[in-house]
Amino acid sequence: MKTEPAYVIAAAFATLGLGAAAQAHHSTAAEFDQNKPVTFTGTVQKVMWMNPHIYTHIEVKDGGASTVYHVEGGPPNSLFRNGWRKDSLKVGDVVTVSGWKAKNPESPNVGQATITAKDGHKIFSGDGPAKAAAE
Amino acid sequence: MPKAKIVPMTLVAALCAAGLCLAADAPPQRGSAATASAAPRLSNGKPDLSGHWSNPYTPDMAAKGTVLDPKTRQPLDLPRSPLPDAKASAAGQAARTLDLPYTEWGLKHWKTYDPVNDGDYAGSCLPFGMSRNINSPHGVQLVQNADALAMLFEQNTWFHWVPTGGQKWPVDMPPSWSGVSTGHWDGDTLVVKTTGFNGYTRLDTAGHPHSRQLELTNTFRRVDARTIEHTVTVHDPRTYTRDWMNVRTWKLKPASDVVMEYSCEENNLGNLFSGAIKPWKPPEDDDED
Repeated sequence: MKTEPAYVIAAAFATLGLGAAAQAHHSTAAEFDQNKPVTFTGTVQKVMWMNPHIYTHIEVKDGGASTVYHVEGGPPNSLFRNGWRKDSLKVGDVVTVSGWKAKNPESPNVGQATITAKDGHKIFSGDGPAKAAAE
Repeated sequence: MPKAKIVPMTLVAALCAAGLCLAADAPPQRGSAATASAAPRLSNGKPDLSGHWSNPYTPDMAAKGTVLDPKTRQPLDLPRSPLPDAKASAAGQAARTLDLPYTEWGLKHWKTYDPVNDGDYAGSCLPFGMSRNINSPHGVQLVQNADALAMLFEQNTWFHWVPTGGQKWPVDMPPSWSGVSTGHWDGDTLVVKTTGFNGYTRLDTAGHPHSRQLELTNTFRRVDARTIEHTVTVHDPRTYTRDWMNVRTWKLKPASDVVMEYSCEENNLGNLFSGAIKPWKPPEDDDED
C-alpha cells in the first residue's frame, strides 16, 4: 500500500521488527492516525500477499454485526527474507491486533499493527518459522 | 559450500539477448565466509562487481555526519537551522532544516516538497530515479562484463544500463527519470556519471531536491569479494552552492538471498483509484529552463 515519506515508517517497522532493510518506498504518512489506537480480536479471512505491503483481512463479530479490518503489514519480499510466508497465518486463525486506525473514518485499514496469535507469538514480525527452520 | 547464486531464467535470457551473459570467469556468489577473499576480476583484469548486493537504505542523504566534502571526505559544516515555513517532513519526524548547501532555488524546492498533498510520484509507482533507486532498501543485482554493467534493482523490478566500454549514447536522448549513465575506470574504481534527468524525481525519500542540471557521480570499488565501497557525489549548481557526497558500504548478500520481483502497482493501484494516495502529475509551474 502507500508510498513512503514516512515519519510513520520508522515506528511502523520498529513495531514490525523488520528493521531498516524492510522499509520500502511507500508513504503511509497521511493514512493512519496515531491518536486512533485500536485493539481487537478476530478471525483471519485472508492474507493479501502483495507489494508494497501485505494486508491481512480480519473479521470481528460483535453480536450480529461484523467488521472486517484490513491490517497492513511489511513488504512481502522483506517478510519472505525474514522467514514469513503467506500461510504463516491461515484462514480461521484467531488473532489479536493492535494498531492505528486510518484517518479516513470509512477506511477499514489499520496500520502500525502488531498481530499476535493465541499462543502469544507475534506474526509477520521479527524472524519467521521458515528462517528459523533454515538455520 | 554455499550454493551458486540463482537468477531467474527469464532474467538470464533477457540479459543474454542484450549481450550481457554472465562472463565465463565470473565467480560463483559466496555467502558469508569467515574471511573475505580478494575481489574477483574479469578476464580483462578489471574488478568484477557482479553479485547480489545489500546497499544501505538511505532515506535521508543529508543525515548528520554523512554529507561530505568530495575533495577531503570530511563532513561539511552545515547550519542545520530550522525552517519553520517548510512543509512537514517526508521522512522521519524531525522538521526540515538547512541540512545541505542550498541555492535559493534549491531551498525553495526543499521547503515546498509535499508529496502527501501535492501528489506522490513514488506512490504513483513512477520511476524513483537513479539516486533514489540506489537509496532503496531492497538490494541490487549487479551483472557485469567488459563492456557494460547492468544494475537490476529489486525496487519495482527496475533496471539501469551503464556502458563501460566506450559505447556512446545518442546525443539527443530525451530527458528521463533515471537519466543516462556512462562508466569508466579510474584504476580499480568504476566511475559512473549520470545526466539527462527529467527533473521530476527527488534524491531521496526525504525529498531533497535536484534540477535537470544534476550530474550524479557514483563510484564502485570492490575492496574484497564481499564488500563494495560506494560513493555518491551530487553536482547540481542550480540546486546546491557546492558539490557534496555520501560514502557507503555495500555488502554481498548470502547466496540464499535471491533478487525477487516487486510490483508497486499491486496495492497502490487501488489506493490511487480510491484516493488514499494522491496521484502525481507533472508540475504546472515548472521553473526550470
